Amino acid sequence: MSGPSPSSRFAEIVLPHLDAGYNFARWLTRSRPDAEDVVQEACARALRYIAGFHGESGRAWFLAIVRNAAYDWLERNRSGELSDEASIEDVADESATPEAIVIRRAEGRMLAQAIAALPVGYREVLILRELEELSYKEIARVADIPVGTVMSRLARARALLMRSPYLHPIDERVAGGGT
Amino acid sequence: MNCQESPELLALYCDGELGALRAASVERHLHACTACATRHDAFLGLRADIRENVVYHTAPPGLRRRVSSPEDHVLRRSAILAGAAMGCAATVLALVLASVTIDYRETSSVRHQAVARHVDATLADRLVAVASEDRHTVKPWLTARLDFAPPVKDLAGEGFALVGARVDALDGRDVAALVYRYRDHRIGVFVRPRDGRDTEPELLAERGFNVVQVRRGRMEWWVVSDLNAPQLRDFAAALARDG
Repeated sequence: MSGPSPSSRFAEIVLPHLDAGYNFARWLTRSRPDAEDVVQEACARALRYIAGFHGESGRAWFLAIVRNAAYDWLERNRSGELSDEASIEDVADESATPEAIVIRRAEGRMLAQAIAALPVGYREVLILRELEELSYKEIARVADIPVGTVMSRLARARALLMRSPYLHPIDERVAGGGT
Repeated sequence: MNCQESPELLALYCDGELGALRAASVERHLHACTACATRHDAFLGLRADIRENVVYHTAPPGLRRRVSSPEDHVLRRSAILAGAAMGCAATVLALVLASVTIDYRETSSVRHQAVARHVDATLADRLVAVASEDRHTVKPWLTARLDFAPPVKDLAGEGFALVGARVDALDGRDVAALVYRYRDHRIGVFVRPRDGRDTEPELLAERGFNVVQVRRGRMEWWVVSDLNAPQLRDFAAALARDG
C-alpha cells in the first residue's frame, strides 16, 4: 500500500505555513526577492524530505527548513552578517508592499528597523516568539539551539530593543527600578 | 519571589512558560513590588508595540502560486526560476496594488467598522447573545433574526471552539456576528451576503487587530482577532471552505 503522494503531503503539511515561512525568511534576509528565493528553496527541500516528517508540528518543521535555507543563502551572499555584528546602516529600505501600506504606522517603521538591525541570532528568536508565538521548546528546535540559549538570546534581544531610541522613555523608567 | 531572579522569571512568566504554581507566585509578587510591576508593564508594552506595529509579511500571491504545484515548478532549476519569479512577482504586485487602491476606501471603512464593533462588544462584555458551542443551536437562532441564513461552521476539530453569536450591523445592515475562541484569543466573525466574485482570504490590519476578509458563494466574512496572522488566515479559509 502506498501512502499519499509527497506533493499532497506537502500541500497538507507545508502550504498552511507558507505565510509563517515567508515572514520568517523576510525577517532573516530583510529583502523581499531574497525571501522569495529562500522560501522557494525551502519548499523544494521540504518536498524532498517530506517522507521523513512524522507527526510533530508542521509549522516548526517547515520554519527549521526555512531557517537552514536562509542561513545557506546568507552564508553565500552576506557571510559578514553571520559573524554577529550586523551594522545598522545595512538595513534595506524596503519599498512598501500593499499590505504594508495599509498596516504601517510611523512608530511601527522605527520599531521594525530596530528589530531588523538586531544581529540575526537575536532577531530570529524574537520573531519566532513575538510574531510566530512559538514556545521556547519550538524555538529551540527551529533555531537548533538549547532552550537555555533561547532564553538568554530573547532576553538580550529585548534588552537591545528597549534601549533603542524608540523605547527610551520606558527604558529610563525601568532602569530606575530594581530593589 | 526574590527580585534578584525576577527579570528571568518575569520573562518566563510573560512568555507563558511557567507552571500554574510559579505563575501565581509571580503574580503575587507583581502586586507587591512596584519595580517589578514597572518591568512587567515595559515588557508587555514592548510586546504590544511589536505585535501591533510591526508588519507581518504574508507570502506574495506569485510565490504562493509557484510553490502550490510543486512538481511543475519548485523542483526545476532555481536559477531559471528566480529570474522569472521576480518578473512575475513584480507584475502581480502592480496588479494587487491597483486593485487595492480601487477597493481601499470601501474596504477600509468596513474593516474599520468590523474592528470597532468587535472591540465595543468585547469591552461591553456582550460578545454573544446566544451562547452555545453547538452550531445547530446558533444557526437557527441567527436565521430567525436575519433575512438570510449565515453559514455556521463547527471548527472545534481544528482548535477553534464556537462560543456563540449575536446580531450586529455593518454598513447599515444587520449581519451575523459569530464568536469563536482559540486558546486565549477571541475571534469575531461577521457574515453578510455579498455579490461579486469569490476571493482568497485577504489579510488586513487595524488598530492592532488582524483582520481577514474572504468572499465565497455570495457570502462575505470579516474575521477580527488578536490571533496571529497566519492562523487567522487559515481559520478564515476554513470558514469559507465548502462543506
